[in-house]
Amino acid sequence: MKIVEHVVGCWLPVVGLFICGCAILAPAQQKPIALKGGKLLTVSHGTVENGVLLMQNGKITAVGAASSIKIPKDARVIDVTGMTVYPGLIDSEDNLGLTEIPAERSTNDLIEASDEIMPHMHVYDAFHAESELIPVTRLNGVTNAIVAPDNKDTLPGQDSFVQLAGKSTEEMVLVRDIAMPLNFTGEQRRNESFDKQKFPSTRMGMAAQLRQSFLDAQDYAQHWADYEKKKSEAAQKSNDDKDKKTPTPPKRDLKLEALLPYLQGKRPIVLAAQEANDLQTAVSLAREFNLKFVLNHISHSQSVLDYVAGLKVPVIVGSIYEDPKPYERYDTVYSLPAQLYRRGVKVVFASYEAHNVRNLPYQAGYATAFGLPYDEALKAITLNAAETWGMADQLGSLDAGKTANVVVANGDPLDVRTDVKQVFIAGQDIPMTSRQTRLRDQYAAQ
Amino acid sequence: MNRTATRTALLFALSAFTQAQQPPAAHNEVVIKNAVVMTVTHGVIQNGSVYIKDGKIAAIGKDVNAPSSATVVDAGGKYLTPGVVDSHSHIALDDDVNEATSPVTPQMMMIDAFDYQDKAIYRGLAGGVTTSLLLHGSANMIGGQAVVIKHKYGLNRDALLFPGAPRSIKFASGENPKRVYGGKDQLPSTRMGNFAVQREALTQAQDYMREWDEYNAKVKKGDKDVSAPKRDLKMEALADVLRGNLLVQIHCYRADELLTEMAIAKEFGYKVRAFHHALEAYKVADQLAANNVAIATFSDWWGYKQEAWDAIPWNAVMSMRKGVRVAIKSDSGDFARRLNQEAAKSIRYGGATDEEALKMITLNPAWIIGVDDKVGSIDVGKDADLVIWDGYPLSSYGVPSKVFIDGDIYFDRSLPGFGMPHYSEGQ
Repeated sequence: MKIVEHVVGCWLPVVGLFICGCAILAPAQQKPIALKGGKLLTVSHGTVENGVLLMQNGKITAVGAASSIKIPKDARVIDVTGMTVYPGLIDSEDNLGLTEIPAERSTNDLIEASDEIMPHMHVYDAFHAESELIPVTRLNGVTNAIVAPDNKDTLPGQDSFVQLAGKSTEEMVLVRDIAMPLNFTGEQRRNESFDKQKFPSTRMGMAAQLRQSFLDAQDYAQHWADYEKKKSEAAQKSNDDKDKKTPTPPKRDLKLEALLPYLQGKRPIVLAAQEANDLQTAVSLAREFNLKFVLNHISHSQSVLDYVAGLKVPVIVGSIYEDPKPYERYDTVYSLPAQLYRRGVKVVFASYEAHNVRNLPYQAGYATAFGLPYDEALKAITLNAAETWGMADQLGSLDAGKTANVVVANGDPLDVRTDVKQVFIAGQDIPMTSRQTRLRDQYAAQ
Repeated sequence: MNRTATRTALLFALSAFTQAQQPPAAHNEVVIKNAVVMTVTHGVIQNGSVYIKDGKIAAIGKDVNAPSSATVVDAGGKYLTPGVVDSHSHIALDDDVNEATSPVTPQMMMIDAFDYQDKAIYRGLAGGVTTSLLLHGSANMIGGQAVVIKHKYGLNRDALLFPGAPRSIKFASGENPKRVYGGKDQLPSTRMGNFAVQREALTQAQDYMREWDEYNAKVKKGDKDVSAPKRDLKMEALADVLRGNLLVQIHCYRADELLTEMAIAKEFGYKVRAFHHALEAYKVADQLAANNVAIATFSDWWGYKQEAWDAIPWNAVMSMRKGVRVAIKSDSGDFARRLNQEAAKSIRYGGATDEEALKMITLNPAWIIGVDDKVGSIDVGKDADLVIWDGYPLSSYGVPSKVFIDGDIYFDRSLPGFGMPHYSEGQ
């Protein structure tokens, strides 16, 4: 890739690679950047060959054919001829920032396993902005993620939506509580051994406990509503009124309070199940309490895909690498995204990973080998994900007005052979370095 | 019983499976035509053909001389590669992977746990894997002896065993043994302990061999009163390490431990065939190459434990460029289903050529297992273990269309059900 520098910057053209001398991010981008000559995969409005993409002040300001876009005089123009340009990828569930070395317990903030019902756990309280895993991830074009607690509880806490660049957790967490997982896969049972068994050790126990929790939260909301009513009635009475009584507020309960936005349908539950029976139990539970939900996993629910389609909710699929059951054909899970797509379901992908979130695009690519159309596969890790999480006004496609999370690569984003050359997050060129590139360079020099 | 008799008896016990009867091939003569033949050893043949006779590759080229009676398989212009070889697998052992009750268990035979009906064999087959090395786990410093299988799912147990494959033994090092035994407040709980246990065991084996040598010498001299030493399966297995009768496969992560393992091998006079995982091989690749030790590694798996913290996805290619024979292995039923994708990552991370990448899942792992004279490339005389791919195999899009083992089709994607001509549910 040739780089044409109109302005002296920190980029040096070295063997066709971007090398950024800056160890930390540059200050907020003011000067326009123009990516010129690349193949733009806009996701929202097709492919533009020989396109131009302009970014300024963290936003995409123009996208189109080279002939139709006027590049401002003061722009830093980067020639990306021969390159593919696409929106930053969005991972719809992972554990980034919650673990460093899983086998080393002190580095894990993955799950509060002391109780099943932990909706007041907030990922943003643990998200570690300086995790070494984050630069490794974004070097492959993943710019945003839903970070979730591990799935060992039915209600393990609330997910945050993060952007994978920034000086601090505060800067990186775009939405603090965006959704709440409700896991109903059987793995949440506390029955790992007979002598360690405790409640809930069965699916009945899990369901009963969940039901009671949502009922308690409804009652809690009612107590507060009653209190507010009494308070406002009291406020209307004059201070001289002998009957005026100031009501006592109920005791605050953070656990129950955390459930309220979900009972009120303000945010989605991420409903996780694997097999058809669990899926239907979980959906019934969600319906009992009028919860808004998206589905997660459903890897072994092939027998009820029409039912799934009828729910008219997005599905975070898989991962498609989930092993089939012994009675299932080898490609049962591989082909699940295509099966869902054919039934009109909005499909999104998640890595469910931490260290190898970077492999998210390959899952989408592999799904195409089992029937998912290519454009849908790319959408599943960009625009579909942004829409699922209510972020489509800012992310998920190359459109003017959206956040400038843009990836430049030397080929097909879904192919394992493709090398990502430069990532922009909020219009800033990310240093293309990580702990791993530093080790590589150190030992390559020996 | 003299030493020779002992060894014969033991060898019989150990290698009976290698003489397993093969089922007759369904088709004696097959021609696969109209394929892009990726031979691994002599380039790519566009619009090529492969002639298979009695389960072996009999001819390769643009045109092959095959009798008109041969069954013709038209590859339809698709890619044809050797069957994928997985040099590090724990499938089909029904979780009997670690005899974690003692850190030295070389007498464990993985064949005794081999679950030939495990569907993981089928799923690997559907991913193009035709040969796997099923290894003991890494709980023990010296684990058990491996079994080499061909993925002929649907046949009976002995038909899945790789005929004439050499014996391998699994050693381990680093965090796993020290965690397992340290957790029980036993030796070893440190890397010092690990290597002390290993040296101790090998030293005992030297003593065992000396006792038998002395006994045999006396018998040879005509001493009729001498009594034979105790036969000990564990010591016999270690003696076979020292005699060079076992390929030594060592689970090892850290650079310093790679060097220590090579030093111990030198001290006791055996060879290390391959280091498995070897995520820090790139730091000591020169030394590995100088000792002709291969590595069986992951493409990009990292960080899951402390000794995997310095793993980098360039490890495979950086080591290869220094002359190390590199294999990409699964270590899981999951990765075994798409090793082609894992190998293709080496194209991106370090710029391997397509042939080098393919070699990492064919000829190089075949060398690690010691069956590179039989499988791992498309060469005349080798077993006809072949894969026709939908899509380009070294990409995100490569999926096996048909998989041949010994010239017979064991997986065909176009078939309904499981896609296996030799298997149906409930058989």
